Amino acid sequence: MTGQPLYFRLKSIAVLCIVICIAGCNRNNENAPKKMAVVVSTLNNPWFVVLGESAAERARELGYETTIFDSQNNTAKEAEHFENLIAAGYSAILFNPTDAEGSVSNVNRAKKAGIPTFCMDREVNSLDGPVTQIISDSFSGCVDLGQYFVRQLNKKGKYVELLGLVGDNNTWNRSKGFHSVVDHFPDLEMVAQQSADFDRSKAMEVLESVMQSHPDIDAVFCGNDAMAMGAYQALVSAGKADSVMVFGFDGAQDVMDAIKQKKIKATALQSPKFIAQTAAELADKYLQGERDMDRKMPIAVEVITQDNIGEFEAYGSEN
Amino acid sequence: MKKPIKFFIITVTLVLVGYNSVYFESLDVKNTAKNAGVFNSVEFVDQFMGAKLPNLPATDANELIGSLELDLVGFTAENGRKMGISNDYYFVVEGTGEVQAIEDEDVILSLIGNSKNKIRIATDFIFGNTIREATAIANIGDFQNTMDFNAISVALNDKVRTTIVPSFSKEVNIKDTVYFKGGVKVNTKNPTLKNLRVIPLILNIE
Repeated sequence: MTGQPLYFRLKSIAVLCIVICIAGCNRNNENAPKKMAVVVSTLNNPWFVVLGESAAERARELGYETTIFDSQNNTAKEAEHFENLIAAGYSAILFNPTDAEGSVSNVNRAKKAGIPTFCMDREVNSLDGPVTQIISDSFSGCVDLGQYFVRQLNKKGKYVELLGLVGDNNTWNRSKGFHSVVDHFPDLEMVAQQSADFDRSKAMEVLESVMQSHPDIDAVFCGNDAMAMGAYQALVSAGKADSVMVFGFDGAQDVMDAIKQKKIKATALQSPKFIAQTAAELADKYLQGERDMDRKMPIAVEVITQDNIGEFEAYGSEN
Repeated sequence: MKKPIKFFIITVTLVLVGYNSVYFESLDVKNTAKNAGVFNSVEFVDQFMGAKLPNLPATDANELIGSLELDLVGFTAENGRKMGISNDYYFVVEGTGEVQAIEDEDVILSLIGNSKNKIRIATDFIFGNTIREATAIANIGDFQNTMDFNAISVALNDKVRTTIVPSFSKEVNIKDTVYFKGGVKVNTKNPTLKNLRVIPLILNIE
């Protein structure tokens, strides 16, 4: 009976030691810099490289450790990244989704683990998952681009449309914005509409194949600039670069240069730097307690043509 | 068990299973069920045009132009409607003007009250989000999928193109007096106050 109080005393001391250790660990964690993850759909496209790096750079300036994860346009890879970053205890995720529908579960998993997600450029089909979604107004950009397209072609001609990833809402917002204009001109005939996954090489292959059955096209409308460059390469190979107009979307460096050199007709400029910086700043504000944020924040895009190219720089800076 | 009873039980069981396995439904009912919960932009716009349009508050066109000339940035920031981060501000505007010219894409009015103020009434190239944003018919934050939100603009423009413009274009003449109500976009970076272009919602030749 006399040993029991000693046993309890030792047990209490042991418990106290454990509590002190845990508290000490937590104090160390509080002092350690917080971490922000940047998950990007692909780093195989310079526009997304700028997006990812700008987000990471702004987050670092705000005092966060950052890591960039490349999903390689693969939702399975993206899910793997989310599992890892949840386990690693990141404070927030700056997220460029691979698939509007397929990426929702990743955002929800992060939310369940207490990690807020901020979407950049592309949206997910969820209002509850991400804190906010900073997205380019692709639809309006392509409405303006569509009107320019119609006027450049004098309301008649044959054209090809190259779509991006079919699971991405931007692909369809761009296509629908464009068609909300051009479909009202009966003498504009779309001879082919095919996906080239936002990829330059695929765009080249697709257009080469389309031109075998439709050699008499007047224009190519591309859902992004990488595909516009691929299409232009295919036209150069076919000796048609001077007679077929190419239109892109993004405002990437190579296309802006090509517009200056009058190789490509126009693009819609969306600024990855601005989108990424805004996302990082909102994430920081959220982590500091700000909760009053719009669920979706569209950012206007500008149509860049051979006439106004001098006013702009690639990736969204104005001259 | 006697053979007839056994046969009866098996038959009843087969009939019951068969009856509950196969059923017929009309294609209309099936399609309605399939589309339930799918956003219908045309219906959404029809409701707006029918119920809310007549009482939609609007700024007088002369007042709008005057205020924009005085303080473009301040007036747009305070009174305009903007979507996200953009230099485009939207207003619902109304007024009466005399037809000065009829062009391929616009009818040009000189406003009653201040004939120096001109307004373009769009009769072709009716595209974009001007009406959706000016009228505040919908908020992007309420839409899970931005494509549904953008479909509202398409439906609104289709409505204007098919129900408002054709009769007006057919009847309008130089010197006619026209009442208009519609949406207008003002870009603060490249303002074109001399050429404000109204996408019409109401057009009456008086």
